[in-house]
Amino acid sequence: MTTDRFNFAGKSIGFREGQSIAAALTEAGQRVLRQSAKGENRGMFCGMGVCQDCLITIDGLPNQRACMTPAAFGLEIEPQIAFPQLNQMPVPPTATPAQILEPDVAIIGGGAGGLSAAIAARKAGSSVLVMDERKVAGGQYYKQSASHPPLDAQQAEGATLLKHAQESGAEIMGSVEIWGAFDGPLFLADVGGAALVVRPKTAIIATGAYERPRMVPGWTLPGVMTTGAAQTLWRSYRTTPGKRVVVCGSGPLNVQVALELAQGGSQVVMVAETASAPWQHPWISLKAITADPGLVFKGIGMMRELKRQSIPLRHQTSLHTIEQVEDGLRATFKTASGSEFSETVDVICMNDGFEPQNEVLRLLGASMTYDGAMGHLRCDRDRRMETSISNLFAVGDCAGLGGAPAARDEGTIAGRAAAARAGFGSAQDSYPEDRSLARHRNFQNYLWKLHDVRPKLPDTSAPETIVCRCEEITLGEILDGLETSPGHAGSLKRATRVGMGRCQGRYCGPVATRLVAQITGKPIEDLSHFAPRAPIKPIAISSILAAQEALDDPE
Amino acid sequence: MIPNDILIVGGGIVGQITAIKLANAGAKVTVVDAGINAGSTANAGSLHVQMQSRFMRIYPDQVPNIEASLPLYLRAVEEWERIDAKYGPVEMIRKGGLMLAEDQKQLSFLEKKAKREAKKGVSVEILDRHALEQIAPWLGPHIIGAELCLNEGKVNPLVANRRLRAVADGLGVQFLQDRIQNLTVGKRVEAIGQTDTYQADRAVIAAAWGTGALVGNFGVTIPSVGEPLHMNITEACSARIDHLVQHAERSITLKQFKSGQIVIGGGWSANDRGLSQVPTVDPLSLLGNVSLAAQLVPTIGNLRIIRTWAGMNTTMDGASVIGPLPASDRLVMAVPGDAGYTLGPLVARLAANCLLGKADHSVIERYSPARFAN
Ligand SMILES: Cc1cc2nc3c(=O)[nH]c(=O)nc-3n(C[C@H](O)[C@H](O)[C@H](O)COP(=O)(O)OP(=O)(O)OC[C@H]3O[C@@H](n4cnc5c(N)ncnc54)[C@H](O)[C@@H]3O)c2cc1C
Ligand SMILES: Cc1cc2nc3c(=O)[nH]c(=O)nc-3n(C[C@H](O)[C@H](O)[C@H](O)COP(=O)(O)OP(=O)(O)OC[C@H]3O[C@@H](n4cnc5c(N)ncnc54)[C@H](O)[C@@H]3O)c2cc1C
Ligand code: FES
Repeated sequence: MTTDRFNFAGKSIGFREGQSIAAALTEAGQRVLRQSAKGENRGMFCGMGVCQDCLITIDGLPNQRACMTPAAFGLEIEPQIAFPQLNQMPVPPTATPAQILEPDVAIIGGGAGGLSAAIAARKAGSSVLVMDERKVAGGQYYKQSASHPPLDAQQAEGATLLKHAQESGAEIMGSVEIWGAFDGPLFLADVGGAALVVRPKTAIIATGAYERPRMVPGWTLPGVMTTGAAQTLWRSYRTTPGKRVVVCGSGPLNVQVALELAQGGSQVVMVAETASAPWQHPWISLKAITADPGLVFKGIGMMRELKRQSIPLRHQTSLHTIEQVEDGLRATFKTASGSEFSETVDVICMNDGFEPQNEVLRLLGASMTYDGAMGHLRCDRDRRMETSISNLFAVGDCAGLGGAPAARDEGTIAGRAAAARAGFGSAQDSYPEDRSLARHRNFQNYLWKLHDVRPKLPDTSAPETIVCRCEEITLGEILDGLETSPGHAGSLKRATRVGMGRCQGRYCGPVATRLVAQITGKPIEDLSHFAPRAPIKPIAISSILAAQEALDDPE
Repeated sequence: MIPNDILIVGGGIVGQITAIKLANAGAKVTVVDAGINAGSTANAGSLHVQMQSRFMRIYPDQVPNIEASLPLYLRAVEEWERIDAKYGPVEMIRKGGLMLAEDQKQLSFLEKKAKREAKKGVSVEILDRHALEQIAPWLGPHIIGAELCLNEGKVNPLVANRRLRAVADGLGVQFLQDRIQNLTVGKRVEAIGQTDTYQADRAVIAAAWGTGALVGNFGVTIPSVGEPLHMNITEACSARIDHLVQHAERSITLKQFKSGQIVIGGGWSANDRGLSQVPTVDPLSLLGNVSLAAQLVPTIGNLRIIRTWAGMNTTMDGASVIGPLPASDRLVMAVPGDAGYTLGPLVARLAANCLLGKADHSVIERYSPARFAN
């Protein structure tokens, strides 16, 4: 039921209430959203505001993310050209004055962790401000829809959590993008072009994770997206990513999303899992069952459902290359025995694990430890989720992968502790949460052992593989750069431009760091990845101007 | 005549080019660098010639030195032309630099400044609004005129550093990472580092902010001070900002790289965390510096800043320090004055010539470390 329309490249595109521009364009079969500096086509990839590959020009203003911008009537949208003409842009209107807020507890991220923290902190009596980049809070696990009733129990649970948070009296602001975090703490954010300045007594960071891709030749082609991006299309916007879909990588999300997309009407031709089947690791499987029988049976149920729907789940099978062919994308897979086979589809979903969105924490100087099993940094915290920086708390996946149930417990514990720090209630014993948290962590431990999420380096026999999406730097160029400036990730970056683009190294950074470690023989623990710097997300200069005026004001 | 082995302390633009010159002359060259806080890896690649209003305001006592150094800046840009031709391209563009005026008072200041600069051989002219619009249509309507200095330009320091490093590697220059703690001079120069000790016939001190401490035992007090500075960069656009843009009264440099990105800087401060840590971004500098850019070029309000960073500049007394120490000619100083990236290649050439027995005495006389003798 199409109620509204906007224009894209001269074509009229219908959209439904609550859809993002990216969702509406996907539904209309428009996958190419922008052209790279080297003339390559790009489209939606992460679906969550991280990759910056879905940029479009809206009403003359370039560099807007289609995945984060709601569709609206009458918008004039153009695919983004690589070098938008400055002199053809309108002079930006004088920015609306920035808002300055000073809550007792500021929470960045309104997912499982952030919302739980909000409820606990409000209960203790402190004022709470929750800020989330998405229009509707809920986060990645609960993915809420602006205009549809819950799809299933998972979304319903999220709706209840969100409702409780709202009723607790916490202020929940959507479409707030935190781009700067400084000592104090002082947070600078953008709210739909206006500036927001937040100076809280204490802060809880709950920014979740983003997905680790599989870097193979062709992974930047439009139609290739993360599994989570496809899930967001379906769960938040009731849009299927395409007709024929293949899902690959490692981890339970891939199976779940394959089923969701099938439910939405896509033909899922296969789920390719890099790890071997769980029954080949009976001991770990057994441990996982003891840790959380409910979740394991949920998993077994999903496998059965795949079988019932005749969606093949192929273990020890990994994506090798992607090519653009006439009737779509040809994905070639390799099996454990080394044999190859291809599927031609219109969408390839990939998820090879997760990377914590820890930029705010690292900007503020919170100490981190490298987790070799998961291949990412974990934020050092005490039992109350406080980081090495006092009055700064971290909960959920941003502190290291832990899953939604753990995020909820951590949120409750941190919410209480942060409120106590601000002078409300006491960080009283959180015995029940501590216990259930231990159980969730135990389960996660076995869960990931059953998958293959240790980060992998791209295949050096394909040096043409793009590693840095933004700057279009190939594996070959990085290997050459490593020969001349092997020192550390920072010098590699300066030598090759790897990580210098809009996404700021979120995808290539971990790979570059690993390559440096491999070449120098230094343990990866020694390397700090690319140093995070403000802005952690690209920020419009007009918004900076508004923040400056607000902070300059002697008031 | 050519010393057979030379140690260079500091591997920034000066250390690298000095190494290339000496290696080309047949010397065995080792560069030891602490691997942190090199201005050369953080800088913006502006080739400055005209006197920067920022220095004239913050360091008024240094103005005579800066003014007297103007001919050096002219030669420095010529030196960059040679580097670009020989080892480049390093994305060098020389369309000149604009210093903007928003009111009559600022314009009069620029007119006076231009006269002083012209006397030193700098090519300057004053443009009114109309003339300015022809070359910089993107400027805000409140800019009434500007000083155009035709000698100025820009290079891409990332490209230049990479190219020069490759050249040095090709000549067999050895690069080592270590921080020199102490220098002694006997029959040979001995440099004691944190991890190793290095010996050489002679040494070049190209250690920027680290210089004063290294040679403090040799009867000179060189006032080299680390100055943490802030930079910003936007995403790419097509704007044709060919000039290096500055302001008559306020701290800013703004220019466009070949990548289409606009680089905004101009000496805003960053948070100092000492010399062995990288400085961090000060939010007030980020806000102030970027806002000023948006006031001068209003349409850039539509672009996004994708990155900011902080780096360590070096200040002294406004002039470079070049040449052997009075106490020992085995130690040759090579530290550029303000706008050190601009001066870098020239300072390197002048220092290398001292070691190769063909010192340009008339040029370096006024930059001798002797002026800091205790
Ligand atoms: C794409 C994706 C899909 C997933 N799907 C599933 C699934 O189906 N099943 C499952 O079991 N697990 C899933 N997971 C894992 C699960 O989502 C997490 O374990 C759980 O959501 C963690 O909760 P959290 O509160 O830490 O983070 P999240 O729920 O991710 O919440 C983080 C919130 O912070 C916001 N945010 C981040 N950065 C900023 C910023 N700079 N400014 C403002 N707001 C910001 C985000 O918009 C988000 O709403 C998924 C993870 C991802 C990344
Ligand atoms: C943000 C910023 C922007 C700038 N923009 C411009 C510009 O646009 N135009 C311009 O002309 N100039 C600019 N500058 C100044 C310019 O970058 C520097 O003056 C110039 O790069 C100095 O070069 P150098 O080779 O002398 O020293 P550096 O590049 O600073 O290198 C000195 C090296 O010596 C090492 N060192 C110090 N002490 C020791 C020791 N004891 N042992 C071993 N190693 C040691 C350091 O680690 C460092 O690597 C800018 C500076 C900054 C910080
Ligand atoms: S798809 Fe929009 S930012 Fe990645």
